[in-house]
Amino acid sequence: MADLAHVEDPHDIHESTGIENRKLGMWVFLSSEFLFFGALISNYLLFKGRTFAAGTIYPRELYDIPFTSISSFVLLMSSLTMVLGHNALANKDQNGARTWLFATGMLGSVFIAGQVFEFTEFVQQGMTISSNPAASAFFMLTGFHGAHVFIGILMLLSLFGISKRQGGLSEAQGLNVELVGLYWHFVDIIWIVIFTIVYLIP
Amino acid sequence: MAEEHAAHHPTIRQYVNIAILLAILTAIEVALFYIEQSVDAFTTSMAAPLLILLAILKFVIVVGYYMHLKYEKSLVKKFFAVGFVAAVVLYTVTLIALGVVSGIV
Repeated sequence: MADLAHVEDPHDIHESTGIENRKLGMWVFLSSEFLFFGALISNYLLFKGRTFAAGTIYPRELYDIPFTSISSFVLLMSSLTMVLGHNALANKDQNGARTWLFATGMLGSVFIAGQVFEFTEFVQQGMTISSNPAASAFFMLTGFHGAHVFIGILMLLSLFGISKRQGGLSEAQGLNVELVGLYWHFVDIIWIVIFTIVYLIP
Repeated sequence: MAEEHAAHHPTIRQYVNIAILLAILTAIEVALFYIEQSVDAFTTSMAAPLLILLAILKFVIVVGYYMHLKYEKSLVKKFFAVGFVAAVVLYTVTLIALGVVSGIV
């Protein structure tokens, strides 16, 4: 009881390890995501070099490397805008934080638009998710990554909306920006792996 | 918050420099993709390990500086490492068992 007297508001403390519980939880979640994406990447590698029924189209025949390179560049730059948004909020620059969060969401949207275009092109050229196991593995892997990007965009735009409505984000809400930032950078590093293993290595 | 942040995290200029470095590494990766398709067998065999090396470098830079893992407490590093190492070991062993890994490296 005497110890608690030193604490102004026990409800403000959400950690017992020196790290905020939600932040530690996010790191654990991201760590578990390695196993999720690892399974999808392994599944793709399993079928990547194999041949199936005659006449079927494989992902490697349809890749547009210049286009995907630009998409990769866009996603990489969104990591820069994300970290600039977090930095702006830490420096109490609410307008800057809002602008960078919105820019990150927009760059993510450009990436998603590129993926939708790529999928549409592939389907029009005759490769669908059921064409062969390699195509199925490709759509599963890149599709789940795209879903993660889409969820990230929703979180970014939510933070942008809250900031716009309230005229800024509080220090407590700043942790939300950090957590969304961690998630966003994680999505970026997964794409770094996918871009190399799926698109660039023959 | 601002003082603590400034003391532990890179500056804006450093963040931008990191982004430029990431863009350059991506450009090298794409160049390697085209080189491996157009030159001799030796260069082709070297391209895949080089591409993996560049991807690892980009991965480490983003995790270390943009995710600030470099500046985090060791508990966070351990939690993150456990998932990563578990995934790499589990799926590498699986792919070796299925005879896939020797075909990509």
